[in-house]
Order: sequence, then structure tokens, then C-alpha cells
Amino acid sequence: MNSLVSKFSTNNIPKQDVEDNEEYSDSMWASSAGYATNGLPTFRLPSLQQPTDFLRLHTDDHADPSCRIKIKHGTTTLAFRFKGGVIVAVDSRATAGSYIASGTVEKVIRINKFLLGTMAGGAADCQYWETYLGIMCRLHELRNRERISVAAASKYLSNLVYSYKGMGLSMGTMICGWDKTGPAIFYVDSDGTRLKGDLFSVGSGSTFAYGVLDQGYHWDLSDEDAQELGRRSIYAAGHRDAFSGNTINLFHIKQDGWDFIGNYDVSKMHYDGPGNIPGAPGTGYGYEVRTNPEACVVAD
Amino acid sequence: MARRYDSRTTIFSPEGRLYQVEYAMEAISHAGTVLGVLTQEGIVLAAEKKVTGKLLDLSGASTGGYGGSGEKIFLVNTNVIVGVAGLTADASSMVNLMRLTAQRHLSVYDEDMPVEQLCKRLCDVKQGYTQYGGLRPFGVSILYAGWDPHYQFQLYHSDPSGNYSGWKATCIGSNSGTAQNMLKQHYKDDITLEAAIKLVLETMGKTMDSTTLGSDKLEFATITLDKNTKIPFAKIYRPAEVDALLKKHGLAKSEDEEMRS
Amino acid sequence: MDILFGLCGKGFVILAGDTTVAHSIVKMKNDEDKIKTLGPHLAMAYSGEPGDTIQFAEYIERNLRLDQIRNVHERRPEASASWIRSSLASSLRSRRPYSVNILVGGFDISSAAIVEGQEELGGTPKLYWLDYLGTKVEVPFGAHGYGSYFALSLLDRYHDPNASVEEAMGTLKRCIDEVSKRLVVSPSKYKAKIIDKDGVRDIEIPV
Repeated sequence: MNSLVSKFSTNNIPKQDVEDNEEYSDSMWASSAGYATNGLPTFRLPSLQQPTDFLRLHTDDHADPSCRIKIKHGTTTLAFRFKGGVIVAVDSRATAGSYIASGTVEKVIRINKFLLGTMAGGAADCQYWETYLGIMCRLHELRNRERISVAAASKYLSNLVYSYKGMGLSMGTMICGWDKTGPAIFYVDSDGTRLKGDLFSVGSGSTFAYGVLDQGYHWDLSDEDAQELGRRSIYAAGHRDAFSGNTINLFHIKQDGWDFIGNYDVSKMHYDGPGNIPGAPGTGYGYEVRTNPEACVVAD
Repeated sequence: MARRYDSRTTIFSPEGRLYQVEYAMEAISHAGTVLGVLTQEGIVLAAEKKVTGKLLDLSGASTGGYGGSGEKIFLVNTNVIVGVAGLTADASSMVNLMRLTAQRHLSVYDEDMPVEQLCKRLCDVKQGYTQYGGLRPFGVSILYAGWDPHYQFQLYHSDPSGNYSGWKATCIGSNSGTAQNMLKQHYKDDITLEAAIKLVLETMGKTMDSTTLGSDKLEFATITLDKNTKIPFAKIYRPAEVDALLKKHGLAKSEDEEMRS
Repeated sequence: MDILFGLCGKGFVILAGDTTVAHSIVKMKNDEDKIKTLGPHLAMAYSGEPGDTIQFAEYIERNLRLDQIRNVHERRPEASASWIRSSLASSLRSRRPYSVNILVGGFDISSAAIVEGQEELGGTPKLYWLDYLGTKVEVPFGAHGYGSYFALSLLDRYHDPNASVEEAMGTLKRCIDEVSKRLVVSPSKYKAKIIDKDGVRDIEIPV
């Protein structure tokens, strides 16, 4: 048995990983029985050098050993408040370790016409609980004959995730909307933290987004400039952060609810820019200015 | 007809009455009188013991155990003493609850339990017994005499229904009407502790069935503030001290009377 | 980690805390008030595990409010601090304890707290240092977080229990400046509250 192992294994897997107490493998049954395998034992292991390393890449046990599963994905999300309402911008990449699992993820969750939630951390956790939050917000409307405030909705979510604290939930979200008090943003995460503020960015690319966002932000931004700032900031993160990118989704919340402004390809932004859109520079965000600086004017 | 409502605490009669609670109050009006008078310097509490029979062995009580002979007046906490009227067994369970409550408060808040809060807590329990099925109310009225830093000296009365109220001078038990009238006539807002002691003893003398007072029938206590430490000081008089006090106020029984009894 | 200071003066107590909320290397917010008013003459500064801090502070705030509605008078600072300590102590042995460190500042206005000859103060200032393990100590000054490593020796040297508000704010400023000078990553902004016979109010930290 052990000689077979050393003969067929290409790498040095310890012998206790071999299921040598099972006489027949799965491949000996059904249609594959008798073909090619010739009854040889096989390994039920991922075809990798070190399975434990692979697992570590996909879980979060080094950060919190009590959480056995935590599929984190890199993200960049941002939201800010200004005189014209709230801008919400996110990327669309989902990663599993170094693998890009999807490039078309919807990271803005439409809770209702006046509330948006962003998604960072566990996609399933965010999707499930923010949809649930949508249900509770609708029930609030039916019971009280008025829309729930952003403060109340975010506090509901924060109390909810706090009750699951230490059980492995992973969420970093911004609850954005417009209520009686005007535009509002609350940052809520699975630690139970809930913060009211004007400007937040969450995810692995948040530092890159902040770099552009903080410099370009002021309260009196025009609608077009604010949208451009959101777009440019996510592009910046998509460009520098390996775990963010693909496309940008941009939303604008005003008094009468949110508008979807558009979806923008990060690569296209790099070479061509968003096109002939008010507030945009009219050129690519990154390529031309680095390759042919004389030809273009850097936007302020 | 009334029987249908008599047997259950939780049921109102058609006239809107709760018979069991009223019966409990009735039981108290036959119990030994308890009297309390509030002054700026402290509170005076006195209680009448009903001697149940001549053969009752009171030889141990004459020297006085810890906290006096203890049948009607109890030390609940450093800052609270109570006088009880009604069923003795119920009273002792209430006193036990009071002491526990006060200690629990001390452990959580690191302060003596405020008097009204203690009174309120007990009334919540008493009220509960007027409502839940299959239980009878506590047949006890209580006078709470205590001090706390919020309202200084306080005198409260609570009854079996769970009602409570604060008083300058009040009385529970048999003949409480007569006693209350006397207190009403003689009480002044600036009464001294000495005068209050005299008033209490004289009122007790008039209300009690027997013509003379003695430590076999009277319990007596005061709560004051220590002059130096400003810490409440509760004093439950020992039988010998009660007799001495009565003698001082000229209310003690004469030698021959003692012989006759 | 958050930095909290507290110090008593003549007839008042001051609580101060930084205003930064940080996640890993990112400052998420720089105007967060970490001092909660718990009653007419009571306030509490808190720090610790994110989420736990606010949840615990609100639990304390709401329960003390309920206590005041039930019992009319406000609970004395000593009793309130003892109750907060009990809450932390029972939480410590629960399935998931709160990890919160606290400074409780109060002004005792009850008759027992009025010092003879100093009636004009209207009571006694009180400061309590509590940690997540359920330790409670009454202190003339106290600190939590990295600030304590710098401030405690400073306060040993400069704290005066008979200081005026101006002098005490000067001492507080010394603490803040020392932390800014020596701590590697020090917070940029602080907020302070004062508690005296007139109640709890915000107080400007001198520049």
C-alpha cells in the first residue's frame, strides 16, 4: 500500500492523509468501475501542494480561530453625504483567495426606494440580513404609516448583528438613505459598531478610495462632481487593490429616492474614462497621463 | 351569593370588592397596636404584644435576646426598623424578605437601601398575592421607620393590598382609630424626640386593653442619627430598658399590681 | 485604543476622552463622543471592544433612567458606580462578557454628601475607575488606555483636589499634550464633560 502511495503521488504528502483503511474508492463504483483505475486507491485531496495552506487562504482562522468558516472577499465600497444627497459607489469583484470568483457582483443592496445598503465582508451575510432589514423596514412602514428613518433602520441592523457577535458573521456595511432629517449615512459592522458620519469607505480597497475621496470631498459639490468623485475613487481602489475592480456601480440618493447612475468598467475608465459625462475629465483616468503626460490635463 | 367570590382572591365581587384582601385587613384590626411618630431627630416606634396565655414561658424574654424580645419590632437593616401587625407567621416571612432585599441591595449598590424603595419592593410582593390564583394575601400591615440620605427620616405604612403611604405619626392594629385621634391632637411638626417618646407611651397607655404598661406587653424602639458619625442608629429597647423608660414617664405598674398579675 | 481621563477638583469632576474610532489602520470617525450622560449629576466615559462599548453604555443609561423613573430621586454616584460594577461582574461570568473599561464621574448632592463648612459646593464630586473584570476603585483622578501610562505619573505630580475648573482643565491639557508628544499614534481630538452641582455639561478643552 505505501509503495503505491509513493509511486503515484507527485508530491510529498504525509502518509496519514491517505485513506488506506478504505478498500475501494468511489471510482470503482458505477460507470467508472473497472475503467482506467484498475481498482487503484485514490486520494480524496485537493490537487495542491499543501491543502492546509489552501484552506488557510480561504478561511479566517488566523484572525479568529473560533470562526471556522469565514470566506472573506476583497471589496471597495464608499458612500458620502453632500448638499445634493448621498453618493454610493462600489466595485463588483468577488474574490476567493487569489481567485476572482466573479466580476459582476451587485454590492449595493436596494433595501427600498429610499434606502441602500452596501456590501463588504461575507456576501451571503450582507445579502441575507440586508434583505431581512428590508422586510422589517416595510413592516415598520405598514405599522406606523411612515417611512423608517435611516438612524432607526441602521440601529435595527446593528442590534441584530450584535446579537450574533462572536458567531462568525462578517459584514461591513453602510446604510444610506434620505429621511425627514435629510440625507444620512450610518456605518454598521458585524462587531456591532454603528457610526453616523458624512463619509465612509469600507473594504480592502478603502484606503485607496479614501486617498482620492478625502482630497476631493467638500459639502458643496455639484451633483455631477460628486458622482465623478465617487466613480474616480472606486476606480482608484480598483486600480491599486488586487481584490477590487472589474466594474463600478454608482448610485445617487436624493429627496425622492435613489437613482442608479450607471455601471462603469474599471479598465475602460483607465484607458478612456467615463466618456462625455458632465464632471468627467473626458480622458482616461490613468493610462494616457502616465504614458503621454503632455497630451492631457489633470483634473482638479 | 358572596361565597362565590369569597373563596378566590383574584375575583371581584359584583360590588367591585376583593373579599380576601378585606378579610386580611380585618385580621389586622384585631392585632396588637403598633404606633410610630416621626420627628426631625428620629422616629419612635412602639408595639403592643398580646400575651396569649398565663402559662407562656417568658422567662427567656425578660433578659432580652439580641434586638430585644422581638415579636413585633424588628431590625431590618442598619437604617430601617419595622413594626408589624397581623399574623405573626406571615410577618416573620415578610421580615425575612425585607432583610434579604436590603442585603441584596447593599451587595449591588454598596449603600443602605433607601427606605421608600424597600417599602415599595415589599408592596410589589404584597400586591402580587392579591392577584395570583390559589394564594392568599399576607395578613400583615407594616410600619417602616428609617433614614436615608435622600429624604432623611421617614415613616411609612403598608397594608395587605400593597398600598403604602408616608406619615408624620400613625398607628395600625386594634384601637388604631382612638390612637390616631390622640396623635392628631398632640402632634406638632417641631416635636422633639423626647416629646415624641412621651406621646407614644401615653397613647399606648390609653389604647391598650390593660390599665398599665409593662415590658411583658410593650415593645419599644427608636431610630436616630449618631451625633458624630451621622450614621443611623436603631435602638430596640430590652425589656429592662422598657420598664425603666415607663418608670421615668410615670407609666409603670405599681409593685402590688405586679404581685396581683 | 481609546484614551480616557478623569479628575476631581473642588466641587466638580471632569471626564475626557478622545474622539477617534479606528478600524485596523483606518480612522473611521474623528468626532465620536465617548462620554455618556447617565443622570442629572452622573456621566460615564467608556472604551473597549467595538460594539460592546455602545451596547453596554446604552444598557446602563436606560436602566439608570428606569431606576430614576421608579424611585423618583436620582441614584447616588457611589450606588450607580457599584451597580455598573455589578453588571460588569455578572457579565464577566456569562457566555459572552462585555469588554468595556469605564470612568464614572458624578456629583453627590444628597444630604450626607454636603460637607460642613463647604455648603456652597452643594455636595461632593466623585470619580470611580472600573475595568471589564469588575474592578471598582474610587480615585481622585484616573485614566484608561495607553494614555494612563503617561498621564498617571503626571497627575500624581500635578493633580490638586482643591483645583478650580481652570486649573483642572490646565492639568487635563497637560495630560493630552503629553500623550500627543510621546505616544506613537496619538489621537488628534478630545471631548470633555464637567459634572458639578448644576449638572453635566460639555466643556471646551483649552488650546
